[in-house]
Amino acid sequence: MGRVLTPLLVRFAAVYILLVALTAVFVPFLANSHPYTIVILAHNGRPAEREFPLFRTLTRLDLILLAVFAAAFIYGMVHWRTRRWCDLPRRRRVRWRWLGLLAALAVIASILIAIFRHNVLDVRNYRRMVRQGRAADAIFAPIRWGYAGMEPLRKNLINQRPSRAHWLGTDGDGRDVLSRLLWSSRIAMGVGFVSQLIALSIGLLFGSLTGYFSGIVDLLSMRFVEIVESIPTFFLILTFVAIYGRDIFMIMVIIGITGWTGYARFIRAEFLRIRRLDYVAAAHAAGLPLWRVLFRHMLPNGLTPVLVSASFGFAGAVTIEATLSFLGVGVPPPTPSWGNMLNAAGNPTTVFRWWQALPPGLLLFITVLAFNIIGESLRDALDPKLAVD
Amino acid sequence: MFKYILRRLLLMIPTLLGMTFLLFAVVRFAPGLTTAGGQFAAGVMKSRQAQRRQEQFIARRLHLVGKNGRPIALPMQYLLWLRSTCEGHFGTSLEYNEPVLKLIAQRLPVTLTYNLISLLLVYIIAIPGGMLAAVKRGGWFDRGFGIFTLALYSLPVILVGSLLLGFLANPQYLKWFPSAGLHATNTQNMTYFQYLGDYLYHITLPVACLTYGGFAYLVKQVRGSMLENMRQDFVRTARAKGLKDSTVLIRHVFRNSLLPLITISAGILPGLLGGSVVVEQIFSIKGMGALAYSATYSRDLPVIQTIALIGGVITLLSYLITDLCYTIADPRVSYD
Repeated sequence: MGRVLTPLLVRFAAVYILLVALTAVFVPFLANSHPYTIVILAHNGRPAEREFPLFRTLTRLDLILLAVFAAAFIYGMVHWRTRRWCDLPRRRRVRWRWLGLLAALAVIASILIAIFRHNVLDVRNYRRMVRQGRAADAIFAPIRWGYAGMEPLRKNLINQRPSRAHWLGTDGDGRDVLSRLLWSSRIAMGVGFVSQLIALSIGLLFGSLTGYFSGIVDLLSMRFVEIVESIPTFFLILTFVAIYGRDIFMIMVIIGITGWTGYARFIRAEFLRIRRLDYVAAAHAAGLPLWRVLFRHMLPNGLTPVLVSASFGFAGAVTIEATLSFLGVGVPPPTPSWGNMLNAAGNPTTVFRWWQALPPGLLLFITVLAFNIIGESLRDALDPKLAVD
Repeated sequence: MFKYILRRLLLMIPTLLGMTFLLFAVVRFAPGLTTAGGQFAAGVMKSRQAQRRQEQFIARRLHLVGKNGRPIALPMQYLLWLRSTCEGHFGTSLEYNEPVLKLIAQRLPVTLTYNLISLLLVYIIAIPGGMLAAVKRGGWFDRGFGIFTLALYSLPVILVGSLLLGFLANPQYLKWFPSAGLHATNTQNMTYFQYLGDYLYHITLPVACLTYGGFAYLVKQVRGSMLENMRQDFVRTARAKGLKDSTVLIRHVFRNSLLPLITISAGILPGLLGGSVVVEQIFSIKGMGALAYSATYSRDLPVIQTIALIGGVITLLSYLITDLCYTIADPRVSYD
């Protein structure tokens, strides 16, 4: 599609993806039933005290995501600040050092959080406390409902149309649709990211080894790739889901280990080309060990086409997760996902609540479209044949 | 030709073996293997006795234990399972309590029929569209069409299916189409044409759901393939001879662009089969996709395993058929 996609459109897509990713990280601060801060008034002889329920109830996952985001942000700043250094090797060295340091810090922080942090369950209804005058001076998140925060069911506030209190209405359990919509971006991004990371690692290892050794190894491995590819992907995924369950991390792994063949093909083709180049021979002559030649010298030069594959793969993974959740074999409730929210919009043959179906469906569509736009534009940029045209 | 077909069929054997090995490994290393199946089926808790019977059944089916109750070594398990699979004994469904082969034989034709219809439809719409985009390359039509097809390609089936069903087959809004099944209830009173019309009426929405994605994918391929051929020397020659533009386009460019499209159709069919799981679930069609879904939901291992295997066989066969079509379409290719 040479030059069909205007730079403006591609930029929009990139900004949109960034926004969704930011939402995925910061969603506890955007939609939460716990206020940032609140003063619980004196009762039962206890003095009034200021509390910070939102920060207290941040889960392990929230904290790990924040830590990783902080590391990524600092690295981004370093990358940006060093962009005008003209000395390329030095710039690269500094960047690598920072990357290593920050990655190590992020990993250590995640492990510490996983060990020492315990998730806090806080079932107090702060909205009601404020309403009844038992608490004061509360600052709530922009959306006062978490993904499982229900309306009191005795008032039967289920399946409400959009209103001032609930901008996108409520679902069949009286939960705020907008809040669930924001929370589910985390599932979509997480599934896309982790599954593609898994697929990429398998594909990298498989493709680089087959491409490098070629010959009989290549022949046999490509037969294996063909075997995996000849089973329709969705049937293979369903087989895995039937056997290994519906846990969210299992879904990520399943999408990852059924979707690596494209990467393997791409990298194999690149390696077949690169292994004949002079610098690989030079690296060998210098006596470098094989893994170093493969992954430090050859891989960086064969990685660019993989980016195209990765963005399409991400879009595919998001779609597959939504589809599985739509069918009821994906993310288990009450965790929201665009797929199970779409499914919850009602059995369309009798009653169809379009205000519940459209937002998650459109968000899913736009996300997939954004990744496809990025993929197409990358392919245009990398494919010299189309550029000449 | 015959020799070629024979060779291709023989070459399929190792791939098929690999596929059985893969599926065997996936199922064999499942956690809690023998307790699997039927727990979720229709919310029925099974009695302990029934559960035990089922465990024994799965153990026998996968040849975990022999007739005398002794465990069997892993490689032997695979060989025994392979033998019974090759003999056509795919086992009994845990959910329906019927032979898997019978279930699939009932449902595969249903799914294949409307899948082939939508495959045909994809080609009928995509070829003119792609040709037009290629001819008007760079113009506003091409740009708009490019973005439109990309958007169409990204549209998730679950959204389109829900919206179509919710707005066009719903007494709340418009009741233009039937909401479920493939036939009306009174089929026995219909003449042949009425029956056919009823069928087409029922599959309109499902086929629309299956078609648009494949169309968006194929249109890009048609356009790329046309552009590729338009740059060739023989096109310039044809122009230099003074042929009309339309003649050049249809007789010279299009015929050569047809070849990659044939190969692509083999890739579209497995995608349609996978997509039919969602479509059949949304439109309540009792086909193979619905079977795959219910088997997934109730952990019906024999069924889901066999469906994956049969899906693979269909894919391999469609590769073979497209390669044969290639020889017919392109006289330069000969396999003898």
